[in-house]
Amino acid sequence: MDTVLTTMFYFWISLFLVYFLVQRGLWIFSDVAKGTVHFMLEKALGPGADLVEGRSGSGARSWILQGTFWLILASMFTFTSMWLSHDPNALHSLASWGYTANADELASAGVYAALYGSVSMLVIGSGFHIIPKLAGTELASETNANLVSFVWTISVLVVVVGTQNNTILGIEIIPLGTAINFVALLAVILNQLLTVSNRTRSLALPGWLILVGLLSNPIISGISIISGAVDDSVGQWLSYHLFGGAFFFAGVTGVALYASSVASGNPLWSKSLVAATLFGSILTINPFGDTHGQMVMEVFGPLAGNMVVEFSNQDMLVASFLMALAFIPVLAFASNMLVTMRGSDAFIDSPDYPGNAELNLGAWLIVPIALGSLFVQTDTVSGTNELVGIADSLSMMSLWLILIPLSLGAALSLYPELTGRHLFSNNRARTAFLMMTGGAISGLFITMIADFMDMALVEMMVEDPSSLSEELRKIGSVMFYGVVIGAILHSLNMVTGIFRGKIISAESVKSSSISVESYSLVSPTTVRKILASGANLDTEVIPTSENDEKGSATKL
Amino acid sequence: MSINTTDSVDVFLQGEKEPSGSWVFIVVGVVFSLSFLVLYSILYPGQDLPVISDLVPVFSGVFDSGIWFFILGTMIGIFAILGRLLLEATSE
Repeated sequence: MDTVLTTMFYFWISLFLVYFLVQRGLWIFSDVAKGTVHFMLEKALGPGADLVEGRSGSGARSWILQGTFWLILASMFTFTSMWLSHDPNALHSLASWGYTANADELASAGVYAALYGSVSMLVIGSGFHIIPKLAGTELASETNANLVSFVWTISVLVVVVGTQNNTILGIEIIPLGTAINFVALLAVILNQLLTVSNRTRSLALPGWLILVGLLSNPIISGISIISGAVDDSVGQWLSYHLFGGAFFFAGVTGVALYASSVASGNPLWSKSLVAATLFGSILTINPFGDTHGQMVMEVFGPLAGNMVVEFSNQDMLVASFLMALAFIPVLAFASNMLVTMRGSDAFIDSPDYPGNAELNLGAWLIVPIALGSLFVQTDTVSGTNELVGIADSLSMMSLWLILIPLSLGAALSLYPELTGRHLFSNNRARTAFLMMTGGAISGLFITMIADFMDMALVEMMVEDPSSLSEELRKIGSVMFYGVVIGAILHSLNMVTGIFRGKIISAESVKSSSISVESYSLVSPTTVRKILASGANLDTEVIPTSENDEKGSATKL
Repeated sequence: MSINTTDSVDVFLQGEKEPSGSWVFIVVGVVFSLSFLVLYSILYPGQDLPVISDLVPVFSGVFDSGIWFFILGTMIGIFAILGRLLLEATSE
């Protein structure tokens, strides 16, 4: 069998086995395992546990805030790399401090900071709120969730340093950061598994999307090493796209689908489409991202090889087929999001509510960017390599116009429930959204136009680089600075909101409408509002009237 | 003939609340300004835009690229967040 099919087969079998164990437990060992894991998550931390608070929601809040801070650094690294691509000596003065800025290295730092610092932290943070909520229980260990967020941040910091200088004192830095990251991820997975094991009701599908996303990360790592996929360029390409599909796509769609219901107040439109998204994220190859597996080679370090292998005919066939199938989960997700957010004539919340705009943007843009990515990846897999010139810009678009808006939008939607306060200013949130979106769309599109110009010049075998292409890249990088400003405004808004945001009243607390069995009617309201809160024709409306009679002492 | 003086009184009206769209225009204006500044080099080739080291000679050889305007802007933003955290945490 070929690399692609073999690795995919191992991945499917392993994930099914893990799913089976999560559903059925470990038979007679379940209680022992639960006790041991709980001990490791709480008591085994020793005095470390006293460093952080363990209040309800504190873990999720900590992850989300740090994820937003990483957004600033990620956008700054990306902006700087875009600038240096047309002005390589712009930061030459830093050489006196021993630092030589390089566009490729900074772009790599930007990708790591965005994917692992921002998107992952926002998804995991939102997951710490969503899974307990859907499971009808409390998070197994808030203290551990809170503490591990700092370990994760340190791991991303180490990886970002590694992108600038991968070998310090003979130690490979990126694999070291990945190892720390892996330990933190294991703690997150154990925390969530313990939470799910205590569930009081069946977990809704968005919860499974998040859980499968988390579980797939160590599974893909193990499978890639065991199957030898990390040793050659084809296997690395596949592992990269499996991480992108199962870990990032599943995680982000899980939190986004949950948030679409929370932010709009509408029930999630279709369970079948969520199921299609879930199975599609596992069974297909996600086309988003790079056309090479360089990142996999970097994170696995000594465990990975550097053999350059061409796609075999069978690899080409299987990879193209599975990538084309990825359109099923993409369309299922986008349609479900958009219909849920609009509702069936019951859309009563403001579309300007923080998070809504980001979720809408991601849901709209995922389809055209997936189409573009599919063309570029198929072009690479088939060995034609005619579209490879726009691959980097398209990869950046999938990061800054899909993954980040969806994960950030979900985090902003959950913010009031997590902090007990609204954002400091809805206007500032809207401004930040416009800056980020405007900056990313205009900056990356202009850069892509420059890419097309360079591709045309290469095709015509013109040796002199185009000055217009250079100028376009310059404008593209300046426009992208809007993303940096937007990220700063979002962060400032969230931080200020924690201290001075309007305290949420009981009425304004939103809950997911995924399963509403009863609705407490405390004051006169319209049928439209009841339906919009997630009720359906089978929901029991319970009048809770106030009594004006004079009270008396309670008899004991 | 009489003139209705009540209607002709010059009254200045100003809302108490800031319209939500105003900040958007200011920020978009800033970004557009920066973009047009970059276009300067296209319109006037050979004449570089002034950078920080041109304005403050003490930084000569250090901040001699336009990127430093942007980096300093980001640093101000990051320090604003840190400052907000410290001030709010110690204000109680």
